[in-house]
Amino acid sequence: MSTELKAPPPDYSKLVDGSRVHGSAYRDPEIFQRELEEIWYKVWVYIGHESEVPNPGDFVRRQIGLQPVIMVRGDDDKVRVFYNRCRHRANLVCLANEGNTSKFVCPYHAWSYSNTGELLEPTFDEGYDYDLDKDQFPLVEVARQDDYRGLVFASVAEEGISLTEHLGAVTEFLDLFMDLSPEGEIALDAGSQKVRYKGNWKYMPENSMEGDYHGPFIHKIAFELFARRSGLDVSTLHEEEIPDVIRSLPGGHMVEDYRGAPLAKRPGEPSPARKEYVEQMKARYGEEKAEQMLGTMAPLLYVFPNMIYIMTHIRTVQPISVDETVSANYPVMLKGVPEEINDNRLSDHEFMFGSAGFVSPDDVEIMERNQVGMHAEGDDWLFIGRGEHREKDMPDGGKSGHTMDETHLRGFWRHYISLMNGDAK
Amino acid sequence: MTPEHFLYHEAQLMDEARYDEWFALWLEGSTYWVPADPDQDWLSRRVSIINDDYIRLEQRVDRLKSGSVLAVEETRGAMRRLVSNITVTRDEGDEVSVESNFMLGIARSADQQFWMGRSFHELRREGDTFRIAGKKVLLINSRREMPLLQVLI
Ligand code: FES
Ligand SMILES: [Fe+2]
Repeated sequence: MSTELKAPPPDYSKLVDGSRVHGSAYRDPEIFQRELEEIWYKVWVYIGHESEVPNPGDFVRRQIGLQPVIMVRGDDDKVRVFYNRCRHRANLVCLANEGNTSKFVCPYHAWSYSNTGELLEPTFDEGYDYDLDKDQFPLVEVARQDDYRGLVFASVAEEGISLTEHLGAVTEFLDLFMDLSPEGEIALDAGSQKVRYKGNWKYMPENSMEGDYHGPFIHKIAFELFARRSGLDVSTLHEEEIPDVIRSLPGGHMVEDYRGAPLAKRPGEPSPARKEYVEQMKARYGEEKAEQMLGTMAPLLYVFPNMIYIMTHIRTVQPISVDETVSANYPVMLKGVPEEINDNRLSDHEFMFGSAGFVSPDDVEIMERNQVGMHAEGDDWLFIGRGEHREKDMPDGGKSGHTMDETHLRGFWRHYISLMNGDAK
Repeated sequence: MTPEHFLYHEAQLMDEARYDEWFALWLEGSTYWVPADPDQDWLSRRVSIINDDYIRLEQRVDRLKSGSVLAVEETRGAMRRLVSNITVTRDEGDEVSVESNFMLGIARSADQQFWMGRSFHELRREGDTFRIAGKKVLLINSRREMPLLQVLI
């Protein structure tokens, strides 16, 4: 055993100075390690949606920080999150990214586990010189698991705040997007696209929840194409900033709340499917709420630390190292709507997102260049001060700013620092 | 022109980012598909990496050639591909189906990327050359996480 003393942890508050963030937060492997310990292995992390594992035996592979896990629906119909690690000598139990199985058989020495986690066969167990108690070797469940309307979250920490406390005010916005289904249910059953970029994981939420500041510069041609496609001109959105759009919420969550910004009507007569959908929504939510929901852009939201909901999809943020990240897009299908509505959602999604999309690649290219720029340390501070003077306190404990303000970033970093210092949950 | 020579020609247009000439190879009504899951059915509601009809293909080309797409800057003049293992799987009148493998290298400032896959062309004879009525590309890494794909494949 080594007896060397650990140096006291540095004061992570120094990473943020007023409205400036230090570049090392995106660059320093030690800080990344601390993030794993104090963020990824403490807080609730989004795993997936129950609709990804609809039948007993269905499973998907995921990660919490750098730790491999599987989300599986057992033969008892319960969804569980297990560490993807054999109890014998720690081999990966499940290699496939998704599938259906009644049991997981470790390829190394063929120990097998039921899809509810019990050890079934330790193989050649006559060789063990005691009565091996199978009950001592089930797949290990991640310490805490819970769901919100089918969105499964887990935390590897034994203790901490409840999922309800963690989500806090962001549920209002989660509800808004799930309520776009006239049955109030979504399905993540249309597959996924996965993008890998050479940059820190924090660029993804920061950039994704940015209102309109970068749009006119990096998405210019995408806006033009969108106008050509839909008849809606969004290129001038930035000319008049809308207040109370960019929101930070307690808990590090971020929202772009467009409820106060009605959309221009799409030119032309709506299709029969669209009309039917509008009627379904009115029947479920009443005229007023339905019109509000369909007449504005749904909120964009970020649930700290790894789930983003943008327009057509749920996006996960998966750190690989301090300067490498994978983000996966899962298109969100709405239950109960006419087929054409979901077909259009998927088509809109492919237009905008994924490695070959017309919008998000502009952002990802920026994230990679951001990582390169971050290595110039002359004045090692990023400035996130836009709109600070006009920021408003909100009743939910968060703050709000205009469409191009950096209010969301300031909220994110406040929460980040409190976690890194170990004084929040 | 043989189907092989047509594929070599198409590859050169893609490598040299000759977007308009490449788009002119396509017939109206054609489709261009790069599934995210190689086993997926054309008609199933599963997300693709690229799923273009002719209109969206034109938008793709217009975007790439606009000069304002950041991810395109680095790839100009910095890619080449090999096309091989060419097999004509159907040859009926004017309709020719061809399968081929490709390997594409792209030099970027941070690294050198390579992409590999199998292409399935539906070609139509036109005079002494061909036009593309449909193209499907199965990337070997389509199910996995991948870098940006902002070039023609
Ligand atoms: S490590 Fe799994 S059976 Fe040996
Ligand atoms: Fe963007």
